[in-house]
Amino acid sequence: MTVATSEHASFDSGSVFLTGLRKFFGIFGMINRRLLFSGCMLVLVVGFGVLGPIILGRDNPMKTVGGLYDPPSATLWLGSDNFGRDVFTQLMHGTRTSLIIGVIAGLEAILIGLLIGTMAGYLGGIVEEVLMAFTNVVITIPSIVILILLSIAISTRSIFAMGLIIGLTSWPWTARAVRAQTSSLRTREHVDIARLSGAGTLSLIIWEILPYMLSYVVMAFVLQLNTGILQEAALSMLGLGPSNTISLGQMLHWALLWESVRTGAWWGFVPPALFLTLIAFSLLLLQASVDEILNPRLRKR
Amino acid sequence: MRILQCCLIIAVLALVVTACGAPTAAPAPAPTQPPAAPTAVPAAPTKASEPTKAAAAPTAAPAPTTAPTSAPAAPGQLPRNETLYVGGFQWGPPATFNPLAGVPGWPCNNIHEQVYETLFAFNQITGNLDPLLAKEYKFTDATTIVITLQDGTKWQDGKPLTSEDVVYTFSLAKTYKDLVYSDFWRYVAEMTATGDRTIQLKLDTKVVNPGIVRQRLAATRVLPKHIWTEREKSGTALSQIVDMNPVGSGPFKIQTASAERVALVRNDDYWGKTVYGLPAPKYIVHPIFKSNDDGNLAFQRGELDFMQQFTPQIWLMWEQKKLPVGTWFKQEPYHVPGGIPMMHINTSKKGLDNVKVRRAIAYSINYPLIAQTAMSRYSTPAQSSLILPTGGEAKFFNADQVKNLGWEYSPAKGKEILEKDLGAKKGADGIYVLPDGTRLGPWKVITPYGWTDWMTALALVSQSAKENGIDINTEFPEQPVVTSRVRNGDFELALFAITASTPAAPWQRLRDMLDDRDVPDRGTQAFWNYGRFKPPAGTYELLDKAAAATDEATQKQLFAQLDKIFIENIPGIGLMYRPLEFYEFNESVWTGFPTSENPWAPPMHQQAGIKILYKIKSIAR
Repeated sequence: MTVATSEHASFDSGSVFLTGLRKFFGIFGMINRRLLFSGCMLVLVVGFGVLGPIILGRDNPMKTVGGLYDPPSATLWLGSDNFGRDVFTQLMHGTRTSLIIGVIAGLEAILIGLLIGTMAGYLGGIVEEVLMAFTNVVITIPSIVILILLSIAISTRSIFAMGLIIGLTSWPWTARAVRAQTSSLRTREHVDIARLSGAGTLSLIIWEILPYMLSYVVMAFVLQLNTGILQEAALSMLGLGPSNTISLGQMLHWALLWESVRTGAWWGFVPPALFLTLIAFSLLLLQASVDEILNPRLRKR
Repeated sequence: MRILQCCLIIAVLALVVTACGAPTAAPAPAPTQPPAAPTAVPAAPTKASEPTKAAAAPTAAPAPTTAPTSAPAAPGQLPRNETLYVGGFQWGPPATFNPLAGVPGWPCNNIHEQVYETLFAFNQITGNLDPLLAKEYKFTDATTIVITLQDGTKWQDGKPLTSEDVVYTFSLAKTYKDLVYSDFWRYVAEMTATGDRTIQLKLDTKVVNPGIVRQRLAATRVLPKHIWTEREKSGTALSQIVDMNPVGSGPFKIQTASAERVALVRNDDYWGKTVYGLPAPKYIVHPIFKSNDDGNLAFQRGELDFMQQFTPQIWLMWEQKKLPVGTWFKQEPYHVPGGIPMMHINTSKKGLDNVKVRRAIAYSINYPLIAQTAMSRYSTPAQSSLILPTGGEAKFFNADQVKNLGWEYSPAKGKEILEKDLGAKKGADGIYVLPDGTRLGPWKVITPYGWTDWMTALALVSQSAKENGIDINTEFPEQPVVTSRVRNGDFELALFAITASTPAAPWQRLRDMLDDRDVPDRGTQAFWNYGRFKPPAGTYELLDKAAAATDEATQKQLFAQLDKIFIENIPGIGLMYRPLEFYEFNESVWTGFPTSENPWAPPMHQQAGIKILYKIKSIAR
C-alpha cells in the first residue's frame, strides 16, 4: 500500500513536473521556434543586404556586365536587367536600400506617433481633441497620395529623404494606440505619486509612462518598418523612388516598364518581389512572436 | 498556432500577389505612349504648329486620367478574316475626327491616309513623294510647281474632288494662322487652280525652300470645300469643331468610335478603285489600350495584326515563341532608322555654356550600350551627326567628317578635355570643378514618363556621366509638362524629338538645331532650337543656301558644312536612332507584309504605308 502510495505519489509529482515542463516548453518552445525562424530569416536578409556586397566584393550595382535581360549564368547568377546590370548585385544593394529606408521611416513614424500620442493621452482636454482631430484627418487622407505629391515635389530624393517622406505619413495609427495606452496609464497610482513628487510633464511621460508601453512601441516599430519598406516599393514602382541608387521597388519598376513578364525574363521581377515578400513575412512573424512573449493575454491562449 | 497559420496564409498570398500581380496589376501610371509618335509629324516653323507637335509628340494625350478603357474590342464582333487590328496610335477615347483639331483621333491624326488623303505620300525608303490624290508634280521652272490630280477623285459623299478643294485647303492656312501648315505660305507666293485637275504653285523667290513645300504637300490632308465653307460660316474656330463622321476622300470611313476602340469600314465606292484597287481588309479596328504593355501582349497573342509600339525584345517572339511575327529586318536593328532623339542642351546654363564641357559630356555617353539595352537593339550606336546614316538621307552623310571631327564613347578623351584643356579638378564627391569654381552639375535631364526606351537611355547617360565626373540626374515628368518645358527652354538637358524622316530632311533637322531666327526667348514656346543656341556667323546664309539648293552635290556639300557647325558647337547630342515608326506585324491572320527582303512598300503605317493595306492577304477562315 505504501509502495503503491509512494508510487502514486511519485507518479503524481512526475506528471506535474512533466506537465509543467511541457507547458513551459509548449509556450516558449512554440514562441521560440517562431521567433527563431523569423529572427534567422531577418538576419539572413539583413546580412545579405549589408554584408553580401562586401563579402562578394560587388560594391557597384550600376555596373554594366551584360546585355538586355541576359538569362542567369555561371557569372550572372540571376541574369542581367534591362540595363545589362547584374540582378544579384542589385538585389543585395536593393535590399540594403529598402531596409535603410524602412528603418528611417519606422523611427520617424514612431517618434511622431509617440510624441502626439503621449501628449494627447496625457494632457487630455483641448490638446487631446486637437491632436486627435489632426491625427484622424491624416488617417483619412490616403497616404499614397501624400507620398506621391511629396515625392514629386522633391526632385532629387536621397535615401534619407525617402525615409523621411514615408515616415511622415505612417504615424497616425501609432499615435492613436499610444494615446489610448497613455490615457489609461496616466490614471495609475505611480504616475500620481510621481506627479505629487513634483515631476514635470515631460519627465513624467518619459519616465513613468513610456516604459510601460515599451513592448508596444517595439512592436509598432517592427510594423512601421515593414510598412516603410512596402511604401518605398510602391513609390519606386511608380518611378518615384530614391535617385541614383537601387532599391527593390526600383528593380520592379524597370522590370515592369520593360515588360519582363511578357518577354519571360522572370529574373527581372521574381527576385525583388520574393525579397520584399520575405522581408515583410519575417517582420510580421517577428512582430507576432514578440507580441506573444510580451502580451500575457495572448500567451495564456 | 493560429497566428502562425495566418502569417503563412498572408505570406503565401503576398507572394502570389507580389510575384504575379505586381507586373500587371501594379498601380503604375500607365506607361503611356512610348516615344512612338514624336517623329510622325514634322515640325512646322511657326507658332501655329503647336497642335501638330502636340499631336506629334505622343499621338494622343496619355490616358491615365480618362477612364482607363476596359478590355479592348471583343473579338468576334467583326469577321476576323476581314478585319485588320492595328495599334499604337490612339491612347484615349477619340474626342473628334476633325483633322484640324489639336489632338484628333486616329486615323485623322498625324498623317494617316485611311479617311483623309494627302496629295502625295512620303516614302521613307526612297525619300520620294509617291502619288496619292495627285498623279505627279513638276517644276516648270525653278520656282513654279505644277501638280496634276488623279482622274475621277471624289469625296466619300459622292461629290467630285477637284483642284478647287486643294487650293481651298491650303488657303485656309492663309486665313487661319493657327493651322499647323500655315508656314506653307512663308514659302509659297501663290497657289492657283489652273484647271479642274491642275494646280500651279509659285514659290516665294525671297525664301526659296522647296523642301518644306514638298513636305507640306505630302503632309497636308485635302479637305472638302463644300463642307468646310459651311463650317467656316458657323463661327466656331475650325480647330474646335467636333466631327465624329468625317467626310474624306480615302478608302475607309469611320464605322464606330468609342472609348474601347475605333473601327473603320471600307469605302467600296472609293475613287481610287480603278487606280489603286481596294484595300484587302473590309474593317480596320484600333483597340484603345491604356498602356504599351497591354498592346504588346495583345500583339503577342495575335489580337493585333499591325502595330506601332516600342516592344522590348520583339525578336523573342519569333526566336523563342515561334510566333509568325516580323519587323522590317529579320536581324538587328530590326527597324529602319528614321529619327534622332536629341538630348538638347541649354547653352545658357553656367558650365553647359562651355563647348568643351559639352564635348566632354558627349564623350562620356556610352552610345553602343544605349543602342544595345535602352533601344533594345533597335538602333545602331548614334554618330555625331544630324544626318541619318541610312535610308533616303544616306547620300548626304559625310562619314569622314563625322570620324575626324565628331565624338564617340571615350571616357579617356572626355577626361583629357576636362583635365588638360579646361584644367578642371575632381572634388571630394568625384565631380569635376572648373578653375573658375563652376561645378559640373548637378544638371537635370528630362524626358516624359512612360517613354521607356528614352527613360532608360537617360538613366544610362546619368550613370556614365557620373562615372566620368559630371553630375547629371534624371527626371521624368508627365509628357505635357515636358513638352511645355522643352518648348519654353525651361530645362538644363532634355531628351526630345527633332524632325524625323520627312521630304524636307535633313535640312529641317539642321534648322531644328542651328537656326535661331523666329525662335522666341525662353518662356515663350519655340518649335525648334529648344536650347536657344546662338549659331556662329554665316550659319543663316548657309541654311538659306542649303534650303534652296536643288542638285544633290551642292546639297551634300552645304549639309556637310552645316553638320560641321553642329559637331563643333554641340547644341545637342543625339543619343540613338529610332525608327520613324515601329513597324511590327503578326501574320496569324494577315500575311504578306513587306520586309527588307521584299520591300514593295515602305515600313510605315502612315503616308506611303497605306499601300500595305492593298496587298496583304487574310489566311483566317
